[in-house]
Amino acid sequence: MNLFQRGIVVALLAVTPIVCSAQLSVVGSVQAGAGATLQASGSGSATLYLFGPSGASKREVQRGSIAIPGDELQIAGRYTAILDGSTASFFVTAAPLAKMSFIARPSRVPAAASGGVLGSAYLFDRYQNLVLAPMPVGFRLGTDGAAGEERYVNSRNGVAWMKLDAGRRSGPAQFVASSGGVSVLRVVQQVAADPCAIRMKASAASDGNILVETAPIQDCSGNAVPDGTIVTFTSVDKAGRSTVDARIKRGFARAELPTASSATLSVAAGVVMGNEIHWGGGQ
Amino acid sequence: MINRASDRRNCICRVAVALVLLLGVASIPATIHAASPGRSLDTSGAAPRAVEDTTATSVERDYAHAWKSLVSALEANHAELLNENFTGSARQHWQQAIEVQKQSGLSRRIIDHGHSLHVTFYSLDGSALQAEDVADLEIEYRDGSKVLSSEHVKLRYLVLLTPAENSWKIRILEELPSI
Repeated sequence: MNLFQRGIVVALLAVTPIVCSAQLSVVGSVQAGAGATLQASGSGSATLYLFGPSGASKREVQRGSIAIPGDELQIAGRYTAILDGSTASFFVTAAPLAKMSFIARPSRVPAAASGGVLGSAYLFDRYQNLVLAPMPVGFRLGTDGAAGEERYVNSRNGVAWMKLDAGRRSGPAQFVASSGGVSVLRVVQQVAADPCAIRMKASAASDGNILVETAPIQDCSGNAVPDGTIVTFTSVDKAGRSTVDARIKRGFARAELPTASSATLSVAAGVVMGNEIHWGGGQ
Repeated sequence: MINRASDRRNCICRVAVALVLLLGVASIPATIHAASPGRSLDTSGAAPRAVEDTTATSVERDYAHAWKSLVSALEANHAELLNENFTGSARQHWQQAIEVQKQSGLSRRIIDHGHSLHVTFYSLDGSALQAEDVADLEIEYRDGSKVLSSEHVKLRYLVLLTPAENSWKIRILEELPSI
């Protein structure tokens, strides 16, 4: 062992008793905002330092039992107290659940969409600390007068999430997350999904054109597809193709296609095709 | 005479070696401080949505920036350094903590040796990402220029990040009970 190594060993031996001397200790576990009591051995006054996620402070204290007020311990996390070179660390945990942040997506969802609605709930105490202890969180999605779907899940690290199926009825749906007496409501607008089947009929207009008109357009759950939705009518004859876009108005869509002695008429909305009519061919 | 001269040479050599070693040891903290902390990001536990590669890269980069700013802010007592990488309650809590610390004339010097980040939640709409971080830190607690105490610790943090205009920001940075 050379001089330098000996020096390090001597220095470590000299420092060890100071590091190991337990002059400070914390009584019990600490909840955010509840305050804590430190025990410092010896007597007389000394400077106490407290470092933690809510700040750092120093004060003159009398050794013995030292009270730390709750307003200095509102933020959850690890706190380190230092007194006469002696340190003690303690952990402040979140207070009971007091608030919930609930995010519901999307704000508009097609009716009957499987797993179409996602809710994420974040559980907080009154000091905005995440409540890390697992807690049952209920998610309920229902429209007026209908119980709807309800499911429970345990939070993990202060977060709980759930995917639910959208209801079959269009209209505003109440999406509620609740846990431990705290509940938050969000409204998800359930709208008609894509048309389920489009039926049209054709007749001769007074000016000789072909008048095409759909039956009421609904999704597969029987919800009326909203007015304004584009419906495309197409006519293919020997002269070529003619296309007319019309908007649904009061549940129906209608348009006039150019006159033709023989043509194939079709209708579509989005990716959904309706029936075909062979005009002039006897139908 | 020969023995004495040899002893003197040996002694000079030992002192020189000790000085070199001392200088080497003294230079270690500066080297660590200058080196960028190691970091790793594990996205295999992400649910209900998988984390895309580009998102993972951004999260890793922005989380590292956030810690850099937190370390600087806690050492220099400049709360405004958190504006770029923190938001919501995390920014409010830590800025308040720095203001309180500044009023007392205290500070914390942190040497960041690295982070190991495990994503546990990534929302379907991409609006929030939660992760657990194991941070390897050396912390010096200071009163003015006087070092009160120091420790080398591995701390666990729960992090909630949310996307901003062009970066991810820390919304919650809450320490978990130790490993």
